[in-house]
Amino acid sequence: MGLKQLIENCKNNDTQAQSELYKLFSSKLFSVCLKYSRNTAEAEDNLQDAFLTIFEKIKQFKHKGSFEGWLKRITVNTVLQRYRKEKVFDIITDEIADDNNLDIEDNDVSIDYLLKIIQELPDRYRLVFNLYVLDGYSHNDIAQMLEINIGTSKSNLARARQILKKTIENYLTSQSLQSLQ
Amino acid sequence: MKEKKHIDRLFQENFKDFEVTPNDAVWQNIDAKLNANKKKRRVTPIWWRYAGVAALLLLLFSLGNIYFNNDNLSNSNQISDTNSNPNNILQEEANQNKTKTTTNNNSANSPISIKNQENLIESVTNQTAISKTTNSNNPISNKNSSTNISSKQDSNYKSLLLDENNKTKPYQENKIANIKDDKSSLEVLKKENINTFNQKDSLLIAQNIEENNLPKNENLSDTQTLIEDVIADAKKDTEQKKLNKWSVTTNAAPIYFNSLGNGSSLGSEFSKNTKSSDITMSYGISASYAINNRVRVRSGVNKVNLGYNTNNVLIFETIGLNVSASTNKNINPNNMSGSVSIISGKVLSELNNRSLIQSSNTTINQSLGYIEVPLEIEYAIIDKKLRFNVIGGFSSLFLSNNSLFYNSNGERMRIGEATNLNKVSYSANFGLGFNYNLSKSFDFNLEPVFKYQINAFNSDTGNFNPYFIGIYTGIGFKF
Repeated sequence: MGLKQLIENCKNNDTQAQSELYKLFSSKLFSVCLKYSRNTAEAEDNLQDAFLTIFEKIKQFKHKGSFEGWLKRITVNTVLQRYRKEKVFDIITDEIADDNNLDIEDNDVSIDYLLKIIQELPDRYRLVFNLYVLDGYSHNDIAQMLEINIGTSKSNLARARQILKKTIENYLTSQSLQSLQ
Repeated sequence: MKEKKHIDRLFQENFKDFEVTPNDAVWQNIDAKLNANKKKRRVTPIWWRYAGVAALLLLLFSLGNIYFNNDNLSNSNQISDTNSNPNNILQEEANQNKTKTTTNNNSANSPISIKNQENLIESVTNQTAISKTTNSNNPISNKNSSTNISSKQDSNYKSLLLDENNKTKPYQENKIANIKDDKSSLEVLKKENINTFNQKDSLLIAQNIEENNLPKNENLSDTQTLIEDVIADAKKDTEQKKLNKWSVTTNAAPIYFNSLGNGSSLGSEFSKNTKSSDITMSYGISASYAINNRVRVRSGVNKVNLGYNTNNVLIFETIGLNVSASTNKNINPNNMSGSVSIISGKVLSELNNRSLIQSSNTTINQSLGYIEVPLEIEYAIIDKKLRFNVIGGFSSLFLSNNSLFYNSNGERMRIGEATNLNKVSYSANFGLGFNYNLSKSFDFNLEPVFKYQINAFNSDTGNFNPYFIGIYTGIGFKF
């Protein structure tokens, strides 16, 4: 059964097709949820909400453009809806600059660790970092999606990068110290 | 010393093929919620139900008309009345149907999604504000902002897709295939980004690509149409609120019974006598089902007592005499009191031209009891904490008590029963309803209802068109 047929069956609320669709895309979409959420439990909640929205709105999918892209957008939107209202106290960062100094040693850092430190970022920083760096949205898009200024989006991204860099650096030093001992 | 790389690239490379299989419990939750939704959705379309109710009404009335085909003119009048009534209701319902096709969509995932949707509504109002502020910074961006995207979405979409293809063709043929193979444009972008990062000055270029890329706009317009969808849904949702489908109501009502014409239920010879009505009681229980938040169908069982007095009659026992056939053919005397004749005092006085017996203070009291089974539709004109309904429908009335008494100078005695009553009769009901929500599940009802009886009597009642009015009050429990 082709994807198109599967989608059509989902439009008819076919339970079998819904299950099939979930199997096909759940791990991709779960990875999106994991990146955008605070922890695994919330990621699961978000995945559930996203799929419920997907099955509800699948009738509106007209086979124009990528289906997976459509699924991802719904998922991202679901997560954004949850987190964007939670205000971050915007720390006025006077040291935004430093863009040149964002290189980091190409060490083997596990993806689990990277995921963990992304999740630990404050909500807004995490969302902006994900949207911009991992999902390729522009600051202009992000500003609209999160209802913030473009400037805020840029400074949030800079802060997120700095926090991540510092965390990784500390982590690497502590590891190399351990290996020395 | 190890090579250094930009922090963005570190994350991008690591997350490029990042996939994690979620816990099985997630699907089980989704499945359960989907099933709950389906059960609610799998109901007959609104149209069919209305049509069904209307057809049932028509059928019953026309059957009643044929079956109890009396020569009584009032009957046919009445039936044309009631025929027009369901039609009106149908039209109203047709209009309603248009506006509320998707009402029962998302009741299962309500708590979270409603909250979210509320957020969204706020967000859109905010959004317009923000797009204004960004206007100064970036005049081009405003063109793509939320206001005008939905209308030209389709044509935009196509041209965007074309653009996308053209763009990727020159340098990366294989990506076109990817796009066609349902790879997301996002991923293509990611790869592009990664490629650009390989070059120096990567950041600047990446930013340029991202801010000028057309597929990006596609993303944006899509998310915005999505948001618009969600908002539209949220509006429908808030309109609908949460509907308790079923409710059970007890009711009690004082009933006032009277006739539109001058006739008498006892026989046409009593037409000119003065008559009066007892205030009697009706009580019962009814259940109603909400088809949507404006229309409810209800049925139930009521006990109705009716009392009606014909004043100024003469009554005498005719022991050992043959009762002349012309008097009281509508009355079947009970055995205890032997043969009884009743004569209208008024008629007698006219015949004899005497004033002596003109004012008899003997009264015939006709006491009727019915088991009433109504089938009615409520349509809410105002649907707030105080609901205001228009009620229409009909009742089947099953005769359960049929007695005639005479009252004379404080004496009261049963003299028999009326023979001209149909065992089954109908009434056409029209009323107004006020429902006040006492709490989430209880409400208080006050419903003055006019019930016009059809086929109550099978012969010779002069121009007796009985009706009764009840002020029904009760407490309803919704669930």
